[in-house]
Amino acid sequence: MLNKISNHEVDRRLVLKGAAAGGLGIAGATMLAGCASGTGPVSFGARTVDESPTIQLKGLVDAYTAKTGNEVTYNATESNAFQNNLSQYLQGTPDDCFQWMAGFRMQFFAAQDLLVDISDVWDEIGDQYNESYKIASTGLDGKQYFVPQSWYPWGLHFRKSMMAEIGMNPEDIYNWDDFMGALAELKGQGLIGLAAADKGGWEAMGTFDILNARINGYQFHVDLLGGREKWTDDRVREVFRHWEMLLPYQNTNVLDLEWDGAMQLLLQRQAGFFMNGSWFGGNFLEQSQEDYDDLMIVPFPEINPDHGRDTVDAPIDGFCVAKNGSNNDGGKDLIKFAGDMEGVQAMLDTGIPMTSANNGQDRSTYDAFQNAQLAVMNEAKYITQFLDRDTRPDFAGPVVGPAFQSWFKDPSSTDSILESLQSQWDALPPL
Amino acid sequence: MTTTIKIPENKTKRKLHAQQIKDRIISIFIGIFALVWVFPIVWTLWSSLRPYAEIRAGGVFSPPQEIGIFNYTEAMERMDLPLYFANTALITLPAVFLILLFGSLIAFVVTRYSFRFNVAMLLLFTAGNMLPPQLVFIPVFKMYLALGDLFGDRRLLYDNHWGVVLIHVAFQMGFATFVLSSYMKTIPKEISESAMVDGASVFTHYFRVMLPLLRPPLASLGVLMITWIYNDFFWALVLMSNDSKRPITSALGRLQGEFVTDYNLLAAGAMIAALPTLIVFFVLRKQFVGGLTLGSTKG
Amino acid sequence: MAVETAAPSTKQVARRRRFFSKQDKVTLGFFIGIPTFLHLSLVWIPAIATIALSFTYWTGIRLEDIVWAGTANYENIFFNTPIFWEAIRVNTIWLLWFFFIATPLGVLLAYQIDREIRGHKIYQSAYFLPVVLSLAVTGIIWNFLLRPDGFVNGLLGLPISEAVSFFGDDRYNIWVIMIMASWRHIGYIMLLYLAGLKAVDSALREAATIDGATEWQSFRKVVFPAMRPVNIIVIVITIIESLRAFDMVYIIYGSSGGLPILGVLVFNNIAGEGASMKGAAYAVILFLLSIVPIITYLQQQFSEDNK
Repeated sequence: MLNKISNHEVDRRLVLKGAAAGGLGIAGATMLAGCASGTGPVSFGARTVDESPTIQLKGLVDAYTAKTGNEVTYNATESNAFQNNLSQYLQGTPDDCFQWMAGFRMQFFAAQDLLVDISDVWDEIGDQYNESYKIASTGLDGKQYFVPQSWYPWGLHFRKSMMAEIGMNPEDIYNWDDFMGALAELKGQGLIGLAAADKGGWEAMGTFDILNARINGYQFHVDLLGGREKWTDDRVREVFRHWEMLLPYQNTNVLDLEWDGAMQLLLQRQAGFFMNGSWFGGNFLEQSQEDYDDLMIVPFPEINPDHGRDTVDAPIDGFCVAKNGSNNDGGKDLIKFAGDMEGVQAMLDTGIPMTSANNGQDRSTYDAFQNAQLAVMNEAKYITQFLDRDTRPDFAGPVVGPAFQSWFKDPSSTDSILESLQSQWDALPPL
Repeated sequence: MTTTIKIPENKTKRKLHAQQIKDRIISIFIGIFALVWVFPIVWTLWSSLRPYAEIRAGGVFSPPQEIGIFNYTEAMERMDLPLYFANTALITLPAVFLILLFGSLIAFVVTRYSFRFNVAMLLLFTAGNMLPPQLVFIPVFKMYLALGDLFGDRRLLYDNHWGVVLIHVAFQMGFATFVLSSYMKTIPKEISESAMVDGASVFTHYFRVMLPLLRPPLASLGVLMITWIYNDFFWALVLMSNDSKRPITSALGRLQGEFVTDYNLLAAGAMIAALPTLIVFFVLRKQFVGGLTLGSTKG
Repeated sequence: MAVETAAPSTKQVARRRRFFSKQDKVTLGFFIGIPTFLHLSLVWIPAIATIALSFTYWTGIRLEDIVWAGTANYENIFFNTPIFWEAIRVNTIWLLWFFFIATPLGVLLAYQIDREIRGHKIYQSAYFLPVVLSLAVTGIIWNFLLRPDGFVNGLLGLPISEAVSFFGDDRYNIWVIMIMASWRHIGYIMLLYLAGLKAVDSALREAATIDGATEWQSFRKVVFPAMRPVNIIVIVITIIESLRAFDMVYIIYGSSGGLPILGVLVFNNIAGEGASMKGAAYAVILFLLSIVPIITYLQQQFSEDNK
């Protein structure tokens, strides 16, 4: 069952085609406006309480209510609480439509019969998305359960003004040696080369993912997460060898900072680079327009010429409909609106930057940062969802998270950690 | 059973004097420590009065340019306090009432009548109080949903403050039973015996005779229970799906996520959330210790 | 220090029995039945169910997915999960710290305050203050002090990037958590002991002092032995609080493995997306570890009630 994960990779070439073509489906969107939905009041569950995403989502549900007259109850929960409670939430009294993530995390709950099959919604709006997004929205049984909202890449973020001051041009960094040189230069200037965090147990997975994909390639990475390769393989050891080389250029208190702490290092100009997902652009914008405009991203450097920079972690966030919700039809109606260009436009109209998965988003309105994100995506051929979305949840959170944290405490213990990872994988009960 | 140490009189006086000096030193020592003890709270309070931007710019010891309650007003606006405090009251007050009621009922039966099962009951409840809550969570969750389905309303107990109330009652009953039975043992048997001789029913015995005597421990227990249940966040987290039904402590987790870049704002939020228990504490200081009787040597 | 409960003679018992009218029996039935029913159905029966579930494989979602696993979950924990042993280590340190440092301090504090040394009223409030704060607030408060941009690092003059890693560094984090936990625990023990001290016959203590004993001697030889039931309660609570600790660590570390303790391991594996019956097994282990003090306490209760 797990090897199906690899079939759901997003072929970057297809997305590339979509990006080039642009502007699909706008005509189709207006046709849907005619359907009067008497589906009644709907509840919507947001997975965040942060300011910017909340404005976006409220824009979406308000537009839905304006169009259909159906009242939407907006229920927001802080993301950690939401994630920890999802299993109970879905079994009990979930909202009709809620925010969730693509990848095995979604497929798992679909397989447990807790999500509503929305293949019919895809039949109507599917032409607004590239094939790759449809694949990412498909459950293990071939039906769709997810509608994408936005994506963001994981890459090396930096502040243009800082780099200009130092006289460095990150665009010139292509391979590992270039990167090491840049980090040394930053350290020489008294700065942290690479801001890092892992207090939450998941942040470091981004670094692992990219190192593994760069060194050993996309297929090995996917196979490793699917249990078809072993953690004790020498190739994984090679990943940690490279990771260790990064440690001297990181802040010493990696385990004391969560992602926002490391972001502060970049915000306060104490660090040169920050390997993270681009979502925090919103936080920079909350700080000031200036800070946001200063933000830029480049892909993580190549390490193994065989693989170049062909893979990127680009998690897709989106929506699902919960089976135990009180109004399944209403939920489907809302999710259709959210996936349709009309809903996307409502979110864009709030002024909060968003990289939508929908082809209808006019990419010419992208600001410099968004264009850079798109460039990072475009360069990659393969897209992964992030470790904790690509592998079994009872392995990612309880096992891999703490394993990486103990590695930070003692980088020389790589061998024992890898052995432990493998034996804990082997001991997992069959799904 | 006292220890008798015979010592000549002037030595006793000197010993007393030495003891007084020791006492003064102890008092000063404890006093200094008391200051250290409350310092963390004071610091948080202080931080909540400053804008975080200043801290970010100049560090925590930067001279304060702006001091005010702006963090508090902003926190109150963004926290939707009336809702969360109402939720807290909806959970805490019924729970405390039921805990005191049930605890007193069991303690009453077990101490005023001699049934063979008395000891077993006490053991059952006190042991139950000590079980880890995580041990029971999944079956309780499933039970709530199943009961809800049985009666046609999924929200009968799940995602319902009554569900949280009941689990608190079930768990904390043991402590209340223990304290109350401990206290009741100190009430002379004659009172009960004369009531029974007068032909009082069990109900009257409880309601008219015993209950009025239980004011001190009930007050203490009430105050303690309010504090404990107010401070719980585990049950509300897992037995509710809708965040807007959760009590104020769950809202704190929300705050941590929401004010992720403004820690001073978070400090203000935390202080606000702590306020009710602090008020209860300062107003009802005496009750905390007053009625708790844990064992007795009174003859 | 026994409570006089004269065993009723059979004649008295027989007389009392006759006094139970039908109405009385119904009342008694309700008085006992309702609380007991609630307690059994929400505490004991689920506990037994979880113990049974710990021998199965299950994601906790669909009943039909339950598969018998025998001792596989336990074997997994004991032989395959290094973080379990780390958690045991942390909980053991917690227990020893509470037992030898925090609780004794609470006891001594209670004694001094009970003796009404100068300022005792204020001290009592000050030390008890942390107990009324929720653990979430406590976590936030201490986070404030020890964050990379908090008080202590500010005092040390360190920027965020070089700040001492109080919560992340294994050399410090456990002691930091111990101090935080003690901050609350000491006040709690102080309260319990104060309650118990009030019950000690003051005549007893006066007699000891008059005889010329120092306060310390009086405490050791007179008061402390007289407080035996309270001592047992305090010991039991100390053990349970250290083994069952959860809230404080959760507020700081969330469900990550920054400072592994049994309570968080249970939570991690029983709630959330990675739920499995390994979590139930953890809960059972936690239960078994707590059961020693429970049984000790119950034995003491039992013997006391039989006096």
